[in-house]
Order: sequence, then structure tokens, then C-alpha cells
Amino acid sequence: MEDYEAQEVEFWAKLEEEGMSRSSMLRRSVAAAAGLTVLGSASTALGMSKMRAAAPTHMTQDAFKQLVVDAKKEGHLNTIALPPDWANYAEALHDFPRKYGIGITNDNPDGSSAQENQAIVSLKGDKRAPDAVDVGVSFAISGTNQGLYAPYFNLNYKTIPRALKNTHGYWMGDYWGAVSIGYNKSLVPNPPKTFKDLMKPEYKGKVAINGSPLTSNSAIAVVIATAIANGGSVSDVGPGIDFWAEMKKNGNYIPVGTTSQTVASGQTPISLDWDYNNYAYVTEFPAASWGFTIPSDGVYGGYYAQAINATAPHPNAARLWEEFLYSDQGQIIWLKGGAHPARFADLVARKVIPAAVLAKLPSAAIYNKVKFASLAQQTAAKNLIAQQWPTKVGS
Amino acid sequence: MAPSAYLWLGLAAIYFILPLYATLAFSLKKNVAGAPCCTLANYSWVIHNSDFWHTIKVSFVLAIETIVISLILFVPTIYWVHLKLPRLRPVIAFLALIPFVVPPIVMVVGLLRVFQGTPHWFYGEPWGFLAAAYVILAFPYMFFSLDAGFRAIDVHTLTEASQSLGASWPTTLVKVILPNIRAAALAGSFLALAIVMGEFTIANLAAFHTFPIFLQYVNESAGFPAGALTLLSFMITWAAMGSLLLVGRRRGGRGAMIAGTR
Amino acid sequence: MADESRFVTLASNAAAPQALRPDVTSGRRRLPLAWLATVPFFAYTIAFLFLPAGSVLIGAFQDNENKATFANIRLLFHHPYIDAYRTSIEISLVTAVLGAVFGLLIAYAAIRDGTPKFIRSGLTTFAGVAANFGGIPLAFAWIATLGPLGVVTTWLRRAGWDPTEHGFQLFSKTGVELVYMYFQLPLMILVIAPAIDGLRKEWREAASNLGAKQWQFWRYVGIPVLMPSLLGAVILLFGNAFAAYATAYSLTSGTVNIVPVLIGAYYTGNVLDNPHLAQALAFGMFVVLAVMMLLYIPLQRRAARWAK
Repeated sequence: MEDYEAQEVEFWAKLEEEGMSRSSMLRRSVAAAAGLTVLGSASTALGMSKMRAAAPTHMTQDAFKQLVVDAKKEGHLNTIALPPDWANYAEALHDFPRKYGIGITNDNPDGSSAQENQAIVSLKGDKRAPDAVDVGVSFAISGTNQGLYAPYFNLNYKTIPRALKNTHGYWMGDYWGAVSIGYNKSLVPNPPKTFKDLMKPEYKGKVAINGSPLTSNSAIAVVIATAIANGGSVSDVGPGIDFWAEMKKNGNYIPVGTTSQTVASGQTPISLDWDYNNYAYVTEFPAASWGFTIPSDGVYGGYYAQAINATAPHPNAARLWEEFLYSDQGQIIWLKGGAHPARFADLVARKVIPAAVLAKLPSAAIYNKVKFASLAQQTAAKNLIAQQWPTKVGS
Repeated sequence: MAPSAYLWLGLAAIYFILPLYATLAFSLKKNVAGAPCCTLANYSWVIHNSDFWHTIKVSFVLAIETIVISLILFVPTIYWVHLKLPRLRPVIAFLALIPFVVPPIVMVVGLLRVFQGTPHWFYGEPWGFLAAAYVILAFPYMFFSLDAGFRAIDVHTLTEASQSLGASWPTTLVKVILPNIRAAALAGSFLALAIVMGEFTIANLAAFHTFPIFLQYVNESAGFPAGALTLLSFMITWAAMGSLLLVGRRRGGRGAMIAGTR
Repeated sequence: MADESRFVTLASNAAAPQALRPDVTSGRRRLPLAWLATVPFFAYTIAFLFLPAGSVLIGAFQDNENKATFANIRLLFHHPYIDAYRTSIEISLVTAVLGAVFGLLIAYAAIRDGTPKFIRSGLTTFAGVAANFGGIPLAFAWIATLGPLGVVTTWLRRAGWDPTEHGFQLFSKTGVELVYMYFQLPLMILVIAPAIDGLRKEWREAASNLGAKQWQFWRYVGIPVLMPSLLGAVILLFGNAFAAYATAYSLTSGTVNIVPVLIGAYYTGNVLDNPHLAQALAFGMFVVLAVMMLLYIPLQRRAARWAK
């Protein structure tokens, strides 16, 4: 303990040298959601506080150059839970370092949104903490309520649809997708076209979901989509749960979570997942002869959100990353992965999307029917599934 | 060899080898539609992946560190309990069950919270935080192995004989007791090694890059190489254990064997 | 033979502490000194086991505003949580008992006279690896073997007997039990091997000299001697299966309703977010295992009567 006291004394002494008063220092720390751990080394604590005081909230064209300079000085970016084959993140993780010379450490690529928020809390003050996160909307909201994020209005904030962002700047939607049915063309010669088709006896032992609805956002989306197809709606998920209970009884539904191995090996010949994931499998696993379709009887969409860690070890690099992702270049990277970026309407209006990219996506007509659920509806669905799924579908 | 031995060993062989065979068959497939067997490209992918070698090294060093700390901490304690404090044994046996009961997913959150303010050389490095956690994870296995080993020998006679010949406590422990529980200590060490080479949850939530993290990542993202990696990791861990066995054999070869062992 | 050793024990029990501390004549000092030697162990377990485990178990009795409450604990007695405990206990008991029985048979087969030594080392080292082979790789290995399109399923289908038509389903409680044996059996082998070593050859010879048959040896000598270790092993296997998470989750995508999977869902999933309920579930696990331990202690004491 004496070590820490000595360091604290040294820390305040350094501050006196810098001419900063103790009270103004404290004010800035509180504004930056006090992550200042004096138990770490005094100099990094000092350095971090100086950086945090300088990280901007509103970005303008003039301030952008300075942001790049400050970010390059920080020299590194920590991301978390970004699978390279999810919405083509591989390209973003590859291009950003090459454009700005800032290396990226991508931790826990298959982590969940809860783990991302958890990492912000448990790694606070450590230089391994994530700088920015990509989380499900309900976690973006709970993270905001917990004070985990820093507000930031990027250059392109205005062209993000109002429904897809937090008006105080704490998070913004990054991309959305629709629930789709992926299938192995050689193992499933007569692929299903709608959700109701999945009940057919020819698909016995073949249908899987990408995860469990108790833990995975995308699996919940699948249940909601099947609810819509079976007489329910985004506010009534019951028919979806009953659908899967019957699928399990018939033996059509195999409750294994899809992984790249099960897709490549053919152990899960039919997989229900976001369209951008199935889209990626087509080129990733030629051995599986993968194809996918968005069923017309239940077009349900969901989106994820970007947020910046309030106690990020590299706050300027985090903001530069957001600028990159929301620039035309970044948005088109997501589109190349089969995910619809938040600024899609704006990009289409300005005709900046390469025709080749648009051609590879499923027809726009089906996407016009997409339904989203409000947060209240998502929460209700979540709770109903938590109550009924283990007993109705589980054993 | 007795006929019943053939039966049970044969059944065991079938049960254990079949899933490994299925993984092998998968790992030799090509990532091309409708291609006939076989290719070593997936194995080549693994071996040429620098993350593979880096994380194996990290995990292996962590495993040795865990084993050393565990033995230093547990062997004298369990010896002492068997010798002098037999009433303490059920207490320690109960404690040994706690790491089971609190699943790693919940334990790691507690660990992260309790040790958040500690200096970076402990909290931010696998050699500190992870090793400490792994010693606790290995504790039940170490305890039950060592306990069975100590029970199989006559601790009191050995100690008294050694002391009546003038040996001090450390000498007794190292030169007399340790060789007699060699099998148990090795069994416990194997388990500790396997635990460290296979533990995922704590390393994942504490943001360290160990071998199981790499394994999980490849399983979720790479398809065919995942099968190759699974088998390679199996073989490598098995080889590591074999080497532990050899080291153990050479070291205590002529240990005093007063009490009955085969 | 036993009396002599007891003499020696008594004599040297008095002598040993004398050798250590010649200035102490009475036996009074022995107890505190003996306890002192266990301090490093307890210090370590307090720091790295009790503190974290304690902070979590206390959380079981708090709600999201950190106020004390029994609400989470009460919730455990409702569906689906109580079902999760039932399924977990069932799977753990089944795999613990079967693992103990078959593990013993396999270990004995490898260790007994007549079996070449390399089989024992091979089996022990393999068991060490297999005991921790779990999660996604193990789940995939079994899906590739006995899944609807697995290798063995295809062989059986070609031979004319389709397992799926006869109700076999890998993604069920039975499937989970079958897969769990892959790490339960090796664990048993590793834990029971030193105890089998303690079954002295002389006893078997003495028994057969007295005319005992194979099963009589086991019934009256072998099993009673092994019983304390067997019971300990069953508890260990039970705990191992009870806390296992990754394998069941990967295999059944969380549809087999067991406690660790529920805890994972509430703690770090993308969807549910109630850490205090997860901590309460962990507390429930603690209670179950404490009960097992309480059953074990008197059983073990009875069994240990035969040990020396």
C-alpha cells in the first residue's frame, strides 16, 4: 500500500509542475467517467488523463486532420468480438491499419455483446481494454445506462437514420441484416423456400440455428422471424417457439449450433442465420456448395450498434475507427459482406455503390418487406423465450 | 494378458478412437465441392500459422508454471495433513470441491473484480493472473490424486524410519516421501497440464491469448483446418505428457519403497 | 505385524518433535506448530478461491441495485430453473457412476499383472489429454461420428439399421451423457490408478492360496480396500460433470437444460442479462455439492475402516 501512496504523491507533484490545479484535474476526471487508476504508474495515469481531456465529442472537417494526428500518436487500437467473416470485418481490420498506420488487436473474436460490455468494466485502466465495441442494441442501451460509453458525433452522423441511433451520441447502428435460410446444395437438392417448408419430412435431421435463443441475438431473430411466418408477429413470439418445439419433436430441428466446421463438413445442411453470415459461407466454403434465401413469409431484420469506451486506452484512435467505419469506404466494406450499412439509403441516393457489389446481393424487393422490432418488443420476446424455450424445446 | 483385460481395453479403444477417426477424416478433406479425399493442406495451414506456435508456447509455459506452483503448495500440505492433522483432511477435501462448484464463468468475474487494482505485472500478464487461477482449477484434481497416493503408502512408518535415520523434514519429504507418491504426483500433474491446455473461459474473459483461445477461434471461423488443429493439439498435449512421464521416471527411479506398491 | 508398527509409531511420534525442537519437552507445542505449516496453503486459497468465490456467492443474495434479497434464490425453485437442476444432477450422477465403474474396469485391465507396461503408460497419458478434451472440438468429433450424417451413423445405415429411425438422438440428454463419458472415464482412470497400485499383489496371492475365487477376492478384499478412493472418485466425477459447460452447450446449442448453460446464458450471453440470478444459480450448485459432500463423509468413514 505504501507504494501506491508514494505514487499518488508523485502524481500530484507532477501535476503541480504542469500547472494544473487539483480541482480542475478532478473535474476533468469526473467528466471522463473516472477510470483513472492511480494504482497504475503515475506517468501513464498522467498521460491518459491528458489524452482523455483532448478527445473530441463532435467531429468537424477541420478537426479531422488533428484527430488523425492524435490517433497516430496513440499508435494502436483495441477491438473486441469482431469475427473476420462477420459482415466482412476482415477487410475493415485489414484496411484501417494500412490507411492510418495504426495497428489493431482484435480480442475474443467470437465474444458476445455481454462479454464486450463486461470487458469494458473488468479491463478498465488496463491497456488491453477495448476502445470501441459492436454490440446488440439492448446491450448498447444498457451500456449507456451504466456509463460505459463516451458520446461521439462522427462526420456522417446526420445521414444515419434517426431510428438507428442514440440522439445523445452514445451509440449508433452500424449495419443490419435479415434472417435467412442457408443450405448445402449437394445435401439438400430441393432447398426450402419459406419457413413453413422447413417442416417437410425431407429435411429431417437437417435444420440448425446459429446458436441458442437464450444466448444469441441472431437465434432470437430466427425465432421472431419464424413467429411472423406462423401467424405471430414481432410482438407475439409464441408461435415461433411452438414452431421450433414441433420441429424438435419431428426431428427436423437438430439443436446443434452452427459453426464453420458444421457448415463445411455438411453436418448442418440447413442453417438459419443472418443473411450476411450465410452470404460469407458461400465463398468461404466451396466444399459445402452453399446457397441462401430470404424467405418471403417472414422478413425480419436486426441491427447492431457501435459505441466508444468511455475509458478507452486509445480514445482518439477509437474515434478515428468510427470515422473510418461510417465513411463511404467503411460502409461499402460492410455492404461487400452482405450486410446493409446504416447509411445505405444515403449511399444509394448519391450513387456511390459499385454496381458489382450491388449485383451480388439478394434482390432489393425482398428487403423492402423487412420488419424491425422496437426495443420493448425485443425485450418481451427475450423474456418469453427465456421462460418457454427450455421446457418446450429443451429436454 | 487376461481375457477380460482384452475385452475392456478393446472396448475403451473403440470408444475413444472413433470420434478421433471422424475428426481425422474431416481434416483430410479438401475445401472444394465434391472432391475426393485427401489433402494435407489443412495441417499445413496450422503448422504455418504463427499464432499456433505462439499460443502453444504460452500455454505450455503456463502449464509448467501451474504444475510447479501446485506441487510446491499442495504436496507438503497434504503430507503434513496425513501425518499430523488427519482431522483437517475432510476440510481440505471439501475446499477441493469449491473450484468445481463455482463454474469458471462465474469465478473469473469474481477474480477480475477482486484483483482489478493490482499492478500490471500480475493482472495484465498470463504468468501472474492466469497461473494463479489455474492452480486453483487444478487443486481438486491434484488433491484427489495426491490424497489417493498418500493413502496408498504408510506415511507414518516412512517418516519415522527416515527420521530415526537422522533425516531432516525437507530431506524426508524430497528423498523419501516424494518418490513414493511419484505416480500420484504425476497423475495430478498430467491433469493440471491438460487443464491448462484446455481451459477456455477464464482466459477468454480475462483477455489473454492462450492456445485454447486460438483453438476456439479456428473452430468458429476456419472449418476444415479446425479438424486438423484439434488432432494436432491432441497429439501435442499427449507428447507433452509423455515427456513429463519420462522426466518423472528418470528422476525418482530408485526411490525408497518400503510401503507396498506394485 | 500391525502391533509392531504401532509400537514404532508411538515411539517415534514422541521422538520426532524432540528431534525438531529439543528444548520442548511436553507435547503441548505440537499442535500450533503443525497448523503453522498449512498457512501457505490457506493463504493461497483465501486469496484466489474464497475471495472471488465469496464475492460471487454474496451476489446471489443481491439484486441489481445491490440491495439484499432472497428473490433470486426463491426463483430457483420455479421452472425452468428447477428442471435445470434435475437434469444436471441426473446427467452428473449417471456419468459419475458409469464413469467410475467402467473407469475402474479399464484401469484395472491396464494395470494388472500380465498386461504389458506400455499399455498402462499409454492409457494414463492418453487419459490425461482426454480428461480435458471438451467443448467445441469434442462436440464436433461426436457430431461427425454419431450425428445424423456422422461416420458411424452412415455405416450403420448402410448395414441396414438406421439409428435415427430407432429413436437415437445425439442432441439429447442421453447423447450428452455419452459424450461426457469421453472425459469422465479418463478422469476416473487417472484418479483410481494410484489406488489400484495400493492393492498389493500379496493379498491376491494370499486370497487364492486360501481358496478364494476371483469374485470373492473382489467382494471381500478388493472393493472394500478401494472403496474410499472409489467414493472420492465418484464425487469428483459428479462435480466434474455438474460444472461442465462448453461441451453440452456446443453439442445441444443450449437446448439441454442444465445449470451451467443457464448460468452462461444469464452471465455472458447476447440476450439475457441478470448476473445476480446467475450467481444465485451458482449458489444452488454449491448447495447441491455440499449435500453430496455431507453424504460422502460418513460413507467414506465406514469404508476407511477397511483401509488399514
